[in-house]
Amino acid sequence: MEIQFENVSKSFTRKRNDREEHFVALRPTTFTVKSGEFFSIIGPSGCGKSTLLNLLAGLETADEGRVVVDGRPVDHPGADRTVVFQEHGLMPWMTVLRNVEYGLKLKGVPSMERRDRAMKYLRMVHLTRFAGSMPHQLSGGMRQRVAIARALALEPSVLLMDEPFSALDAQTRDLLHDELQRIWAETKTTVVFVTHNIREAAYLSDRILTMTGQPGGIKRIVDVPFPHPRAKSSTELSRFTAELHQEIKEEVDRVAMQELDEDWNPLTSPKRPPRDVIAPGEGI
Amino acid sequence: MSTDHPTKMVRLAPEGQKRKWDWRAVVVRISFIAVLIILWQLVAMMKIVPSYLFPGPDKVGAVFLEKIQYDLYLLRKTFNADVPFQPPQPSLTISIFKSMGRMGVGYGISVLGGLTLGVLLARSWLLKQTLGTLIMSLQSIPSICWLPFALIWFGIDDKAILAVVILGAMFSMAISTEGAIRNISPIYIKVGKTLGARNLTLAKDILFFAALPELVGGLKVGWTFAWRSLMAAELVRSDSLGVGQLLDSGRQYNDMPLMFVAVFTILAIGVTVDLLLFGTIERAIRRRWGLEK
Repeated sequence: MEIQFENVSKSFTRKRNDREEHFVALRPTTFTVKSGEFFSIIGPSGCGKSTLLNLLAGLETADEGRVVVDGRPVDHPGADRTVVFQEHGLMPWMTVLRNVEYGLKLKGVPSMERRDRAMKYLRMVHLTRFAGSMPHQLSGGMRQRVAIARALALEPSVLLMDEPFSALDAQTRDLLHDELQRIWAETKTTVVFVTHNIREAAYLSDRILTMTGQPGGIKRIVDVPFPHPRAKSSTELSRFTAELHQEIKEEVDRVAMQELDEDWNPLTSPKRPPRDVIAPGEGI
Repeated sequence: MSTDHPTKMVRLAPEGQKRKWDWRAVVVRISFIAVLIILWQLVAMMKIVPSYLFPGPDKVGAVFLEKIQYDLYLLRKTFNADVPFQPPQPSLTISIFKSMGRMGVGYGISVLGGLTLGVLLARSWLLKQTLGTLIMSLQSIPSICWLPFALIWFGIDDKAILAVVILGAMFSMAISTEGAIRNISPIYIKVGKTLGARNLTLAKDILFFAALPELVGGLKVGWTFAWRSLMAAELVRSDSLGVGQLLDSGRQYNDMPLMFVAVFTILAIGVTVDLLLFGTIERAIRRRWGLEK
C-alpha cells in the first residue's frame, strides 16, 4: 500500500481583487510514502498542502502526473482512502453509531457485522457510551474522535488527515495526539497527515515533508530520528522542532514579502522566540 | 450481546427529556386572547358603529353555532332522510373541505414542480441563467394577476383557481429549493464522497438531509403563498364553494357576522398549518440536527 506521487501538478483559477488569476497550487511533485508510515506534510498556509491531500483523496484531479495507491492510479474518491477533515463533518441527522456505520453500509456490509465493526472503532476512541447520541450533543474533541472512528471503520489502506486537530483547544489536542499515536500503533495504518503545526508533526511522524510557499512544492523530506512512542517534553524533540520551525519561517517570510506592503520585512517584524521555546499558538 | 450494545446506550440529557410546556407563556397568551375578546365585546356594546357593521363576539358566535348546526343537519340528512327540512345555505364544513381540496391539489403540484425546478436550477448553470431569470421575474407578479388569463384559458372552472395557486407557490419553492441545495455545506459532500457515496446515493443519503432544514422552510413559505393565492382567487371567483367564497357571500348578503366567521376560519386554518404542522416539523428537525438549543 505504497503511495506514489509521480510528477503531480495542479493549478487553479481564483478570484482576487475581482480579477481572475491563474495560480499554481502544486508544482510537479514526486515522492513516495511507505506502507505503514506516519507521514506528515507541513508548510506555510496556501502552500498546497491540502491540495496535495485532496489529490490523494481523489477529491481533485491532477493536471499532470498521477497519484498511485497500492499500484492503482487514483481517479476518484474511494473508501480505501478515508479522510478526517478539520471540520468533523459528522452528519447531524445520524446518531454517532450511524455515522460510523455509514461507510460500511455503502460497502454492503450486513447490518450485524456493520454494527460490530462500528462499535469496535468507537471502543478504540473510547466513545461506545455515546453511540446513540446525536453529534451536536458531543464536545468538539469527541466529534473529532467519532470522525476518526468513522474513517477507520472502513479499514482503509491509508488514513488521510487534513489539519484534524487545528480547531480544537490545546488540552483536547494533546489528548488526541496520544490517542492517534496509540491507534496508529494498533492498526498499523498508513497515515498521511497535513498540518501547519510543526510540533504536532514532529511528535507524531516518521517522516515530514516540508513545502515551499506558493507556488507549492517539496522543500525537503525530513526523517524524524526518534523511536515511537515519544514523549512530548523531550529536549531532543524540542530542538528538532525548533530547527524545523526556523526552516518553515523562512518560507513564511518569503510569502509575506510577496503579499504584504514593501515596508514589511522579516527583520522589523516582531522577534521570534528563542529556538527552544514553544512558539505562541504552537503548543501541541 | 456485548455490554455496549447500542440499545442500552447512555443518551445525553437534552435528547431523552420531553420538552416541557412553558406554562407561563401559555397562560399569558390565553389571557391576552380573552382580554381581546372582552374588549371587542365592550366596543361592540358601545354601539359607536351599528352592529350590522361591527358585530360583537356574541353575534359572530351565534352565526358560527348556526353554521355548525346546519352542517350537523346536512350530516344527519345524508344518513337519514327523515330530518325536518332546512333551507339551503353555504356550508362552512363543505367550504373548508373544498378549499383544502384545492390546496391539496394545487400545493401538491407546486411542491413537485418547485422541487424539480429547484434541483434543475441548482445543477445547471445554463438553466439558472435562462429559466432561473424567467422564474425570478415571474415571481414578482402577484399571483392573482394570473386569474384573468386562467379564466379565459380554463374557463369558469376549478382549474383556473388551481392555476393561480400553482403559479403563486411553485416559483417561490423553486427558488428556495435551489437556495437550500446551494447552501449545503461542502464538508458533507466531501465526507460522503470519501466514504464511498456517489451520484444517487450521495443525493438521497446526504444532499437531501443536509438541505432538509432549509427545504422545509421553503415548503412552509410556499404553503403561505399558495394559501394566499387561493383565498384571493376564491374571493374574486366567488361562484364555487370555498372559504374565500364564504367571505364574499357574507358581503353579498350584507351578513357581517358571517364574514367574521369566514375570516376566523381562514385564520384558524392558517395558524393550524403554519404553526402546528410546519412549526412542529421544523422544530423536530432543528432539535434533531442540533440547530436549536
